[in-house]
Amino acid sequence: MVTYLIRRLVFFFGALFAASVLIFILIRAAGGNVAAIVLGRHASANAIDALAAEYGLDRPLPVQYIDWIKGMLHGDLGRSFRTGESVADLVVSRLSISIPLALSGLILGLIIAIPAGVFAARNAGRPVGAFVGLLSQIGIAVPVFWAGILLSLLFGVYLGLLPTGGWVPWSVDPIQSIRSLVLPVISLGLILGAVMTRYVRSAILDVMNQDYVRTARACGMTESQALVQVGLRNASLPIVTVIGLQMAELIGGTVIIETVFSIPGLSRMILANVAAREVIVVQSTVMLIIVFVIFVNLMVDLLYSVLDPRTRLGQ
Amino acid sequence: MTIVENFARKVLCATALVVGLGTAFLTAPAVAQDAVSPRAADKALIMVARQDPGTLDYVKSILTALRLWIPANVVEPLVFFEADGTVSPGIAETWEISDDGKVYTFNIRAAMFSDGSPVEVADVLFSLNAMKGSPVGSNAAAFDAVKSMEQTGDRQITITLSRASQNFWRGMGDMSGLIQPEAAAGGIATNPIGTGPYRLVEYVSNSNLTFEANPNYWGEAPAIKSVNVRIVTDGTAGLNALAAGEVDAIPVITIDLWEQMVSRELDQAYSLVTYPQVGEPTYAVINQSIDHEVRKAIAMTLDRQQFNDAFGAAWGAENTCTFGLPNMPWYRAESEDTCPYPFDFSGAMQMISDNEFGDIEMEYVSLSDVPDLSLPADVMVPMMQAAGFDVTRNAIDLARYSQLIFAGRPPQFDVTIMSGPGEPTQWACPDPSAAGWSTYCSAAYTEKLTAADSAATDEEYRTLMDEASAILRDDAVIVPLIAKLGVGLLHPKLEGFIEPRLGVAVELSSLRW
Repeated sequence: MVTYLIRRLVFFFGALFAASVLIFILIRAAGGNVAAIVLGRHASANAIDALAAEYGLDRPLPVQYIDWIKGMLHGDLGRSFRTGESVADLVVSRLSISIPLALSGLILGLIIAIPAGVFAARNAGRPVGAFVGLLSQIGIAVPVFWAGILLSLLFGVYLGLLPTGGWVPWSVDPIQSIRSLVLPVISLGLILGAVMTRYVRSAILDVMNQDYVRTARACGMTESQALVQVGLRNASLPIVTVIGLQMAELIGGTVIIETVFSIPGLSRMILANVAAREVIVVQSTVMLIIVFVIFVNLMVDLLYSVLDPRTRLGQ
Repeated sequence: MTIVENFARKVLCATALVVGLGTAFLTAPAVAQDAVSPRAADKALIMVARQDPGTLDYVKSILTALRLWIPANVVEPLVFFEADGTVSPGIAETWEISDDGKVYTFNIRAAMFSDGSPVEVADVLFSLNAMKGSPVGSNAAAFDAVKSMEQTGDRQITITLSRASQNFWRGMGDMSGLIQPEAAAGGIATNPIGTGPYRLVEYVSNSNLTFEANPNYWGEAPAIKSVNVRIVTDGTAGLNALAAGEVDAIPVITIDLWEQMVSRELDQAYSLVTYPQVGEPTYAVINQSIDHEVRKAIAMTLDRQQFNDAFGAAWGAENTCTFGLPNMPWYRAESEDTCPYPFDFSGAMQMISDNEFGDIEMEYVSLSDVPDLSLPADVMVPMMQAAGFDVTRNAIDLARYSQLIFAGRPPQFDVTIMSGPGEPTQWACPDPSAAGWSTYCSAAYTEKLTAADSAATDEEYRTLMDEASAILRDDAVIVPLIAKLGVGLLHPKLEGFIEPRLGVAVELSSLRW
């Protein structure tokens, strides 16, 4: 187990280093700089260069990279060029929205996917099972922005039950904050639920056909007992993988939902700062997300090794 | 069940869902807003902005998203230029201008900034010097003729110019004349301070700007005490919020939403306001290296009404041959007098045929994913081809276009259509050899602009700008087509909207329930 852990940790830090170099290069490869954006397209080259120098963008790239990494290692994520705001403060304020949104969406997705997937698997080959599969396909096919707009129109404009969009900070009115999140969470949950239903269904079908489940049935267990007591642990492996990947993706990947519902989450912040070429804000925030993603993957791997000892033995 | 059957089912159901709900979405009319806004009793207001300014530092940023809200509402200039041409006091309570137009004396009002500190002459000098050194060309340009700025009394400053300058005087009623406290200048990017009728309570990027009535305001207290500006980047989401009664106004509705706004009958349910300040001229750009006669023939293929029809909103666009917007004194609507090369398709065909202009290969670059620019391209290219020009359309998307610009390799072209700020001084460039991919350079035009700037009187200024405008039209490099107006929707019970006096600023203090 210790060797396995060390191997995973080496991979963890190696991946972080590679990611940091890649982010640093890619954001600059996009061209342009924040000074040019702020000053507009009619600004003179001299004015752009002067403002870029004021922001420290005229320094050699290796110097900029080393300064950034040094800062990151000391917990300093840098400051926005345009506003001087601390990136750490920006990220924390946005995470207070993105984490509840992502977690709630994921939980709703699981609430939909696990029973629907199990139901579809147990009724595979029957019309009801096919119907659940069809609903899942539709859920996958409908673009998330479309679902968001329709939900906003139905519950916001026509029924007037929930806000069409916007965000009320937790500190101002927590009830309104929750109301602001309902439609985005439903949009996200429905789509995630549809995707994960397919995985749950496949995983359950796989284990239901295994010898050990058949043996359990032969020993007198009902299908449900065999599924819950014997099959579910094995079926959970691919599901845990998908949940881990989805969670990591959701933290920085809800930009469409955040845009449609005008929620100032982390994804929208990154998108706006990419457009503004705020390299420090983008690279530090993306780096944090990568740390999170790689960490979640590490945790999933470790969980795998607990759920299935063969993985840590390399079998 | 085969994969094909599965796919067919998926497509069928998704299509049914999309068609059904989409039809409901498109056909459902807006409910007329007869009811009083729930914010009215609290003297509050919620508005929608489409863009996030990112920074509120108006000294360093030229972004419209910032200029809509901060100037006039939070930070005020020395003077205000009214719509009728008169000048009203701002931070300067009174002023004197010498007969030769070279010495300006401003007497500073004994006002307070919204943070409670008094306005000192030092703050005024600091602010003007900050603008003089601004990296934003239009902010600094007002000070081109300034020789000195100094305190000449307890509450008086005197500014001496090397020559009369209309740009300076107009700048004092615009962004260049905004006054901030020196002590708070460090926080300008997130919390600009000024003497305006409102103070900024909060700015959360990509979320909202919140304003409250400034208790220290020197003028009449605004009727609306609290204004929340929600930043809703998705246009449909903004219209939904308005239709649901969650917001009271969208003062700037971009052209990509005009069709949806009309089809949802929001223009009927809400007060539609049009105003030129946030509008933009749409104009053809013909590469200056192309022969003048060819440029003239191209200009004659341009049927302005066709371009106007393409946008489908006659109330929001006016045909014109003048570069500018209807609030500018030299602007003229399309007429025989102001169009040197009016639409004359058969005349253009004859010219092309007689002079063998059809042998010249031309490239038309258009931005395929910007409706403002791709729609007119759909009109212009076929018309040029039908007239006999050998023109090829090269469509690129905005991302690629931006990448080329940022990389310093702008797309080269012979003809295109652009849309942008309506200020004619942007084409000041005396050396024709310096004309680039989207620029116009003319010694005569630039000289005329310079002469207009030095004009001693308003009348002389307008005459010279008229003459400059005529030079630009005759050269047919920049060929104006239509002037698109700014369009906004307001709750029908919200009154007092006025055209911006300071750039594009939406003035909140005149609004009332």
